[in-house]
Amino acid sequence: MKPALALADYRLIVCLGAGGVGKTTIAAALALGEALNGRAVDVMTVDPAPRLLDALGLATDSAEPRHVELNGVGHRPGARLRALKLDPKATFDSLVERHAPSAAARDAILQNRIYRNLSQALTGVSDYMAMEKLLELHADRGTDLIVLDTPPARHAIDFLDAPRRILELLNSRAAVLLGASSGFLGQSLKLVDLAARAVLKAFDRLTGLGLLADVQSFVRGFEGMYQGFAERAGRAQSLLRDPRCLILVVTTSEAERLSETRGFIDSLRAIGLKAGALIVNRTLPEMPSLAEIAKLKIAPELKRKLRRNWKDFAALKAREAESLSALRAMMPRHAALAVVPDLGHEPARLADLASIARRLCGAESEDAAATPPK
Amino acid sequence: MALPRLIFITGKGGTGKSTVAAAMAHALARRNPVVLADLDQRSSAARMLGADLNGRGSAQIGKRLEVRALSPRAELESFIERIVPLRMVSRRMLKSRTFGYVTAALPGLEAFLMLDRLRILAGEAARSGGYLVIDAPATGTALELLSVAGGLGRLAPSGLLHRLALELEKFLTDPESFGVMIALSPEEAALREALETSAVLDTRLGIRRIGAILNGVAGQLFSRAEAEAASTLGKHGELMARRIERGALAERARRRLSGAGINVIELPMLFRTSLGGQEIFELSQALEAALARQ
Repeated sequence: MKPALALADYRLIVCLGAGGVGKTTIAAALALGEALNGRAVDVMTVDPAPRLLDALGLATDSAEPRHVELNGVGHRPGARLRALKLDPKATFDSLVERHAPSAAARDAILQNRIYRNLSQALTGVSDYMAMEKLLELHADRGTDLIVLDTPPARHAIDFLDAPRRILELLNSRAAVLLGASSGFLGQSLKLVDLAARAVLKAFDRLTGLGLLADVQSFVRGFEGMYQGFAERAGRAQSLLRDPRCLILVVTTSEAERLSETRGFIDSLRAIGLKAGALIVNRTLPEMPSLAEIAKLKIAPELKRKLRRNWKDFAALKAREAESLSALRAMMPRHAALAVVPDLGHEPARLADLASIARRLCGAESEDAAATPPK
Repeated sequence: MALPRLIFITGKGGTGKSTVAAAMAHALARRNPVVLADLDQRSSAARMLGADLNGRGSAQIGKRLEVRALSPRAELESFIERIVPLRMVSRRMLKSRTFGYVTAALPGLEAFLMLDRLRILAGEAARSGGYLVIDAPATGTALELLSVAGGLGRLAPSGLLHRLALELEKFLTDPESFGVMIALSPEEAALREALETSAVLDTRLGIRRIGAILNGVAGQLFSRAEAEAASTLGKHGELMARRIERGALAERARRRLSGAGINVIELPMLFRTSLGGQEIFELSQALEAALARQ
């Protein structure tokens, strides 16, 4: 079977998509597929289902890359697959530790109330941290390809936009206003800022939050780290814009998903990125011909039921076809569209992932030898 | 079954939350005034009912059903206008990017204000003898949202937000005011998430779970004896097995949910070429009948 996607030239694949579309499974299958093709691949997952971890042979999810045993699925020499799970809190902590100018500055940040809330609660932070982990993985020259699963996005492109936003935050007058020394960004306070500061104080008192002091010390804490952050955010940006980065949108064919997917594609365009491929996951199998039923040697009653069953599924298949053509129409020109038929069950074995991988990447596997080409 | 004023419908992505919310609103609006709202401005449920909000805040569908789009930004604005009575100052504040960063740093402020809006709307619904149906975000985000009241309440030891947090907690844990419906499809992953969500609501948040809506239950067509022949019937046998498997998954989901003490309402799989007004109408009838039985 001809592979649906040609991935050999890419060094980075970013899988985007809403929650529940099977994004993590697709990321794992693509990584496996390229590993089986003889490449050294790392895959970072965000929220792997227990079954998927089983399939990868990983007993527990680990924040450090772990080797996945490729026994039982045929692979070319050089194949290597490592998997890890994103741990936003630990990544943020280690980032602060690395960049803090002093031990005192480090502790001030790690114990700050805002930081503790930010690093644990806010979804945006997972996005920053996925990006940070990407840079770490990318520094390993022995790796040919990194496949990134991304946190389920409330706003389509939170993840891709994360570096720009953190830069903007650090670069903004907000930092000045909130108490970073005004010289540090080379900007001076304007009258309007002073007014805003007074209003913020009133806001703080009225709401009873008493958080402003925390916000100030948080921003001040990052003062010495600005350079390091800015530089890394900039590098992440250029990785994403590199022609060897493929941005891939994963979806399913339910009608509810159409507007979501359009949202992803449009917001990518809005920040100057392109959806390079669309994967429609869990499609229905090809419909057999209705005429075959007449040839079967079975009771008329069962024939009647088979016809009814065919009609039911044909309706669903027609609904799916309509969605697929709507999806095709919204994709940029030259972008690939690949469908992954429903396995009929959750992927629980490496062979399940390999069967998806074979379809997408043309990976070799023992199953492939056993199945005659269609 | 007596429903709470606010019915918060969540579930794993792709399990048909919006379809269920639309059907629920439609079913309740046969007898009572109903407001159907979502929190992400995609208005998918509203669109299924044929309403195009098109940037507007609300639209009336039929005599007793109104759809609304709530937005965190609008809630923040009205909150600021409340505490900063000088309109010029509050406008300026909202326009400043700086202020945006500050509110982004205050954990969960927008979510908190959104919940407070729901509390106010539910109060209005109670006064008019109606219901508020919320097409909520997917489970993970929804649970974050519902946990926000306690969190921010602890952060603000006194003052306006502290008082609001107390009121919110009272509202969320009052079984006559607030309840969660968990939508799921028969697949294993959706079932697992539904059971986890239900446990969190029950043990950690003390929020009423009204029940689970098992969506897409395919009517059984084949007898057991016929099912055994599936492997000899080629491609049609595979299609047959697919239907049988779906039925078995639904059966399993039903058992596990009931075992966990959760009310289960089933909605049929509609084998149709499209899901539109007619289909929502049929689902709402099924839902109404199921609610009457419970």
